[in-house]
Amino acid sequence: MINPFNDFKSYPVKRREIPLDRIIAVKHETMEQIIEGYLKLAETEVKEMVWLVEHSRIVKAYSAALETIGDMEYDIDDIEEFCLELDRGNRVPYLISGPAGIYISALCNNVKDERIDLKLFELKRTFHFLGYRLPEGKTLILDGNVGDFIGTGISGGNLIVKGSTGNWAGAGMLKGQIHIKEHTGQNTGEWMKGGEIRVDGHIRGIGKSIAGGHIYQGEKMVFPQEKETEN
Amino acid sequence: MKNGKIRDKVLNIYGFIQENLYLNRPDLKVSDQPFNSALLFSLLTALNCGKQIIIGEPGLGKTTSAEYVCSLTYRFPLGLIWASEVAGHPEQTEEKIVGRPDLGRLNRGEEVVVWSYFTQLPVKIVDEINRLPETKQSMILDGVDRGNWEYLNDAIINDEYCLFATANYQDRGTNTIIPPMIDRFDVIVESRHPGANIAYQIGLKDRHAATLRDKEYERRFKQVLLERADYEDKIEKIEELCEGFGERMRKSFQIEMLSRDERSQIRDIMEDLPLDADANAFLRTVIAELSFCCKYGQKRSEETCDEGCHYTNFLCHKTANCISNRLPTTVRSYSQSLAWLMGEESVSIQHVKTVLPYALAHRVQWRDDYVFQKQGDSRRDSLQIYMAKQAVGEIHRRYTEQSHHIKNALAVAYQVLDGKEMEPVEGDHPIYAEINRDIEEYSP
Repeated sequence: MINPFNDFKSYPVKRREIPLDRIIAVKHETMEQIIEGYLKLAETEVKEMVWLVEHSRIVKAYSAALETIGDMEYDIDDIEEFCLELDRGNRVPYLISGPAGIYISALCNNVKDERIDLKLFELKRTFHFLGYRLPEGKTLILDGNVGDFIGTGISGGNLIVKGSTGNWAGAGMLKGQIHIKEHTGQNTGEWMKGGEIRVDGHIRGIGKSIAGGHIYQGEKMVFPQEKETEN
Repeated sequence: MKNGKIRDKVLNIYGFIQENLYLNRPDLKVSDQPFNSALLFSLLTALNCGKQIIIGEPGLGKTTSAEYVCSLTYRFPLGLIWASEVAGHPEQTEEKIVGRPDLGRLNRGEEVVVWSYFTQLPVKIVDEINRLPETKQSMILDGVDRGNWEYLNDAIINDEYCLFATANYQDRGTNTIIPPMIDRFDVIVESRHPGANIAYQIGLKDRHAATLRDKEYERRFKQVLLERADYEDKIEKIEELCEGFGERMRKSFQIEMLSRDERSQIRDIMEDLPLDADANAFLRTVIAELSFCCKYGQKRSEETCDEGCHYTNFLCHKTANCISNRLPTTVRSYSQSLAWLMGEESVSIQHVKTVLPYALAHRVQWRDDYVFQKQGDSRRDSLQIYMAKQAVGEIHRRYTEQSHHIKNALAVAYQVLDGKEMEPVEGDHPIYAEINRDIEEYSP
């Protein structure tokens, strides 16, 4: 007799160790905690009415996010579900793309897994600051288009974007790798100190103040450019 | 020849038609590359030995697009393809479509069939199929389905063939395409208006120019087809003529057409491309939503699901019929061809998602209230393709939300049927109910 599920013979099975309702309850509880953490961060950030991209503010928001996350138990599915919730759910009354991205980055940087694969192609919104301070040993794969300031301050991690990014990709990155499979916007690599950015598609513009690192468009290195020899 | 070189040939054929013969507007993106859906699917149909129905307003290139694709992928001059086309009209007869008795031999008491060009050639075009009365559509059912043509006591079988049928929107002279006939078509596409600017460019073209015509070769092809010889022998002679015609086109227009061996090689490679776990699980999820009925076990077009069913938010509640088993066959083969054309090593969920609306649009019968609800929506596609795209998008969203859970449910089901002690996975989608029903019914 044919086993109609033969194609999934070698697919790794997650064994059910506790009843489904318990799993659902735990999942629900985790999501509540994640959302609560985000709302706490957003409430602090929204006080100024306009959320400006300033170095000190970003650092402060990230520290606050880390503090909120604390010892929270969650996995990659929870992060992905949180992204969906932000995009189209009704449990988050307001969304500020910057702090949301920083919060998602903090979640990714603290999750136990080393490889994080987020499917974002179904989302209507794009988040900024994804991959912020991605540490060494972590690989973050963002499947879909993303917003501005992707991979800001990366500290050794490996960020792969299966889509296009907005402006300021890799701003202030220290070391590590960013691989953008489609296009990227203006000021790519601004204030970058080290590491490598590879863009398979088009780069609208590279940053004017880049201190170090390498930027490639396809196979061609666009920063630093080799000096032309004068005849 | 290397796989990559054949793929380049196919992409060049697409480009040649798009730039010179069937000017059109891209309306579909695959891996971020723009394509015209009518032309892309026609090409896949030709490569895949598929069957395609092309709908659209008169004069928007339904038949011509198919003719160009057939000519370039099978190396036949355009005039031969015109001669083999079947026109759908109420007076059409089996003798004109399939074959007729050889009257001279019949007078001598011998029963010999003269097969039509349509039955003998591997490319088949039925123009305006919905002008054929319902009763006459049944006449070509078997041929359409299996390439099996019978007349008197004789029969020929096409080992390799593709079929294109065009259909106008309903008017006074059209008939309904009968359900068993429509289900036999793999895909449906709309040949759309190309927009004012491209239409203007089309107007500048010389209407008498026929790039793919060659009167000498057309005469020689017809001569072979009319020979009183064994069909297999004729096919070999035809391939030799194809070789010559292909060479002439290569010299005149620098376009390389496909040989029979190349087409066969392409099909072999395509068939070996595996569906990845997501593509596989997503297709099962789609089939589940379109065939499941909580109350009656499966969808049946004569039974209406009651209000208040737990699954009212799923598509099973919006459709009237059960999706046919031809759907997964179509989706699998067309997704494989699309993945091959894009140079991929396996079929992904994106390939399946691209193909599905065109494989579904003509097969799903939506409930009237749902059609009424959707028909006023702002859209660019014809209503049936638009509704299929919406449906696929809806199921894809549901799948994305729980893809890990669905794949896990399928993996657990394998283990359970393999004799392992495990608890089947539960969830809120018809796919879980279908999986658990299989576990229950297949378990010893």
